[in-house]
Amino acid sequence: MNRAKKVVASVSTLLTRRTFYPSPTFRCDPLPTVSANSESHWSHESLQPSPSAQELRFSRRRFCSGSSDKRITVCWNCGFSSEKAAFLFCDSCRSIQPIDDSIDYFQIFGLERKYELDGGSLEGKYKDWQKKLHPDLVHNKSQKERDYAADQSAKVTEAYRTLTKRLSRAMYIMKLNGKHVNEEETITDPTLLMEIMELRESIAEANDSKELDQIRSQVQEKLKQWSDSFVEAFESHRFDEAVKCIQRMTYYERACEEIVKKL
Amino acid sequence: MMIRQAAKKALGLTSRQSTPFSVGIFRSYHENVIDHYDNPRNVGSFDKNDPTVGTGLVGAPACGDVMKLQIKVDEKTGQIVDARFKTFGCGSAIASSSVATEWVKGKAMEEVLTIKNTEIAKHLSLPPVKLHCSMLAEDAIKAAVKDYKEKRVKTNGA
Repeated sequence: MNRAKKVVASVSTLLTRRTFYPSPTFRCDPLPTVSANSESHWSHESLQPSPSAQELRFSRRRFCSGSSDKRITVCWNCGFSSEKAAFLFCDSCRSIQPIDDSIDYFQIFGLERKYELDGGSLEGKYKDWQKKLHPDLVHNKSQKERDYAADQSAKVTEAYRTLTKRLSRAMYIMKLNGKHVNEEETITDPTLLMEIMELRESIAEANDSKELDQIRSQVQEKLKQWSDSFVEAFESHRFDEAVKCIQRMTYYERACEEIVKKL
Repeated sequence: MMIRQAAKKALGLTSRQSTPFSVGIFRSYHENVIDHYDNPRNVGSFDKNDPTVGTGLVGAPACGDVMKLQIKVDEKTGQIVDARFKTFGCGSAIASSSVATEWVKGKAMEEVLTIKNTEIAKHLSLPPVKLHCSMLAEDAIKAAVKDYKEKRVKTNGA
């Protein structure tokens, strides 16, 4: 499938020549089939070969990354290739790029891959990204770019959600390090389970919001405590312990959710 | 009783209209699950310290579920005469443990150890994502039997 596309791509570059403009306006897909696309803007296009024309290479990132070990990303629009994965915008022509799965959530917000982070900066950066990417703000771009913008916007939102909450952040950072928290495991630790059982029972039996708030603050404290334990365990590479911390945090989070529902 | 109320609120399953089935996109709970949810059998507790009681306490940390299943055993015959459960979790987990308590009653301990989660899941038509709930129930049964046996060894040995 890749080979066929490459053949088509090379044929198309033989057939058509494009003038390369480093401008922010939308560049059309050079494949002949796209000429029927009514949403493309042809303002700067010329189908005639021009003496100083530079060939636009139409190639999608997956071709390049599939064929070599080096991470090379190529802009679908201007052909600008870079070893640095382009997140969102091509550095050269500023067109919106498709999702690159190699970029992790921490990179999106320019943060180090560690558990502790400054919550305020996260929110600020999130809002900045959404200003750039929000689907409503890319009206003047092509359908393709709008679709990319929508995908990227969703990814940024997902990243923000994952990183803001302690538990999901912990699980994500474990995943990035190749340590998966076993999904289907059954545990039988009597101390932990008894504690959770009693906690859930007390939530179920609590009669007024004052009681529930009290329980909630106790649980929040426990969450903080185990979150700190997680950091310690994780940074000391005691991953089994880290997993146990995550498990506890999951139980406390679930209890908090119950409280919120009851309130 | 209170678990049911709490669970009902938690799941938002306060009325049947939350389970549409026309479009096929929505997954609805199977009627067996709803039955066990609305009419849970055997909710409650036995005295943990009662020598005829075996307590199985298991948890699924991935979804924050916790399940307690207790059996009351006739010491002479080794048969389970009664069972109780208390589960905090999703509807499928609650139904699985409810089914488990029903199925262990009147059976010998060795027999209940052969109850498989797949049977529970089939009875409740659990979707694949909820299979681990039935696994939890199977583990709870085994844990309860194990606890009872351990207690007997202790009392006999002492």
